[in-house]
Amino acid sequence: MKSATTAPGDVTSFSLGLALPLGLVFAIFFVLPLAQLLFLSLHNDTAATVWGLGQYVKFLTDPFSLAVLGSTLLLGAEVTLACLVLGYPIAWLYQRSGSRVQTLIIMIVLLPLLTSVVVRTFAWIVILGRQGIINSVLQSLGLIGTPLRMIYTQGGLVAALAQVQMPLMVLPLITAIGRIDPNLSDASASLGAGSWRTFVKVMLPLSMPGIIAGCTLTYAAAITAFITQSLVGGGQMLFMPMYLYQQASTLQNWPFAAAISIIFLFAVLAIVALFSTLGRRARGYGDAR
Amino acid sequence: MMLDRRRLLTSALTLGAMHAFPGLSLAQARPLVFATFTGSWEEAHKAVLVPAFRKANADAAIVLDPMLSVDQIAKVNAAKANPPIDVMLHDPGPALVAIGQDLVEPFPADKSAYFKDLIPEAQDAMGPAPFFQVVGLTYNPETVKTPPTSWADLWKPEFKGKVGITNLNSTLGTGWLVEIARMRGGSEANVDEGFKALEELKPNLAAVAANPGALATLFQQGQIDISPGNFNAIQILKARGVPVEFVAPKEGAIAFKTTIHIVKNSPNKELAFKLIEAALSPEVQTILMNSPYLIVPTNTKVAMTGEIAKVLAKDTAELKKKFVFQDWKKINEQRASWIEKFNRDIKI
Repeated sequence: MKSATTAPGDVTSFSLGLALPLGLVFAIFFVLPLAQLLFLSLHNDTAATVWGLGQYVKFLTDPFSLAVLGSTLLLGAEVTLACLVLGYPIAWLYQRSGSRVQTLIIMIVLLPLLTSVVVRTFAWIVILGRQGIINSVLQSLGLIGTPLRMIYTQGGLVAALAQVQMPLMVLPLITAIGRIDPNLSDASASLGAGSWRTFVKVMLPLSMPGIIAGCTLTYAAAITAFITQSLVGGGQMLFMPMYLYQQASTLQNWPFAAAISIIFLFAVLAIVALFSTLGRRARGYGDAR
Repeated sequence: MMLDRRRLLTSALTLGAMHAFPGLSLAQARPLVFATFTGSWEEAHKAVLVPAFRKANADAAIVLDPMLSVDQIAKVNAAKANPPIDVMLHDPGPALVAIGQDLVEPFPADKSAYFKDLIPEAQDAMGPAPFFQVVGLTYNPETVKTPPTSWADLWKPEFKGKVGITNLNSTLGTGWLVEIARMRGGSEANVDEGFKALEELKPNLAAVAANPGALATLFQQGQIDISPGNFNAIQILKARGVPVEFVAPKEGAIAFKTTIHIVKNSPNKELAFKLIEAALSPEVQTILMNSPYLIVPTNTKVAMTGEIAKVLAKDTAELKKKFVFQDWKKINEQRASWIEKFNRDIKI
């Protein structure tokens, strides 16, 4: 925050050497494999002997592949939006509650992180299934005659993914909202702003760092959630992770799989960059007022 | 020994170096590494095959490394000169890939005591088949009152919204597509009829599972009532009390050879051969045929009993009559384009 006093230079400047071990780990286990992936993707044949951009041309000129990419990015957007809309009030509530309720909320939020993704996903299959909890309740209430189809649908998948990724949204939000000086909303109120206006003009812009962090994490996790996507989405809904798996494992077409990953990586990076630009804009707007 | 900080650091660095440069420990003999499949296969091999092998080979050291066929191929491919695996297990599709990429050693059949006893389909020079996997019709006997008899039953209007299939990532899905193509006059070289049949199946489809495991759980959830299914997978469900039955359709149950291979450049070739011998032996196959493993034997000296005799075949002659084997060399040639077509066309 701008009001904070800036610390003297000699205290905040550390030797770069401290970052060396982690830098080395990243170089060996992240940058190097990524470079290898890029290298592999620049081959036209499956045995990786002929150089060329053929795999990229194949992907980018194929409406089907582009549709897979599009639906994956859209899925991420839907899940992120659901998490934000449902997660923000919880984070808000957390900051306005006593310590007992806070412990309860944090427990409920963290609980999904403590169970395996596979277990959580199977739980969703049980909930959404033809004889699942939702269908049997609706049927016993006489609201529906035949069971609704929820599993293996986009809506079911978004619901399952949103629940699975919710902690990734709520935790950064709690931190960000907690950092906002409570006096600010009182000040806004005493200057005559209604609670809605205070929220939109003061609280929302100030919680933007949390929103961006939460959205980035949720988005990245949702579009790459191979297990949930394939188990709740089923074998006929194709998203990028499954597309990649199919090409690499079933068909052993590694150059095309590598090209898919690189394209996917850049698409995601672009979205993340977009998030943070939008966020910075919004924050600037908030500061200006 | 006192563990001071310096000594701890030294050993940590040494261990780290050994991992970073595996060549350093090359001189040491390593145990035989057997890459099996995960799940029930791993269980069966741990409980039966490994003890039999160790008993016959003076307690030789052996390690099971369970993973999918395609992952085995990737792992061996990454270190061809010094492979981390000695014995690989493969479905027919991946087996041909492994052989095509020159990753496996021919099986020394003349040294083998059991090779000649295998049914001819299992006698493969590049790696014999110690087991079969069988695909037939599986159904829920509580909701399907008359047991199905043919693949064609899946298209019956009474199964509207109740049929499950898998996509073509699996051997099961691809093999089944070939079989329904064949039922309508197609073949391994031409599955167009199979895709037409799939199109007509759409109203009946309740689910396209991402893999055979997911398909099995759909029975548990009551999501589907009938599907093409793997004999072993269904027996496991049945043992857990899920109402599900298996029948071999009149067109013939699809049989996949599960072949076992010595990896090229393996430092443990002799032991690898011994392990395969154990897998081919009638003793091991007899135990694996019975409950709870129910793996279909390939050695003609094994007398078929129990559930397998009841549901599949009483002897080798009947087995050969009831099973259809597919030409995976032809299938592999076009599998990529089929998967692509399935991705595009099958939306329910």
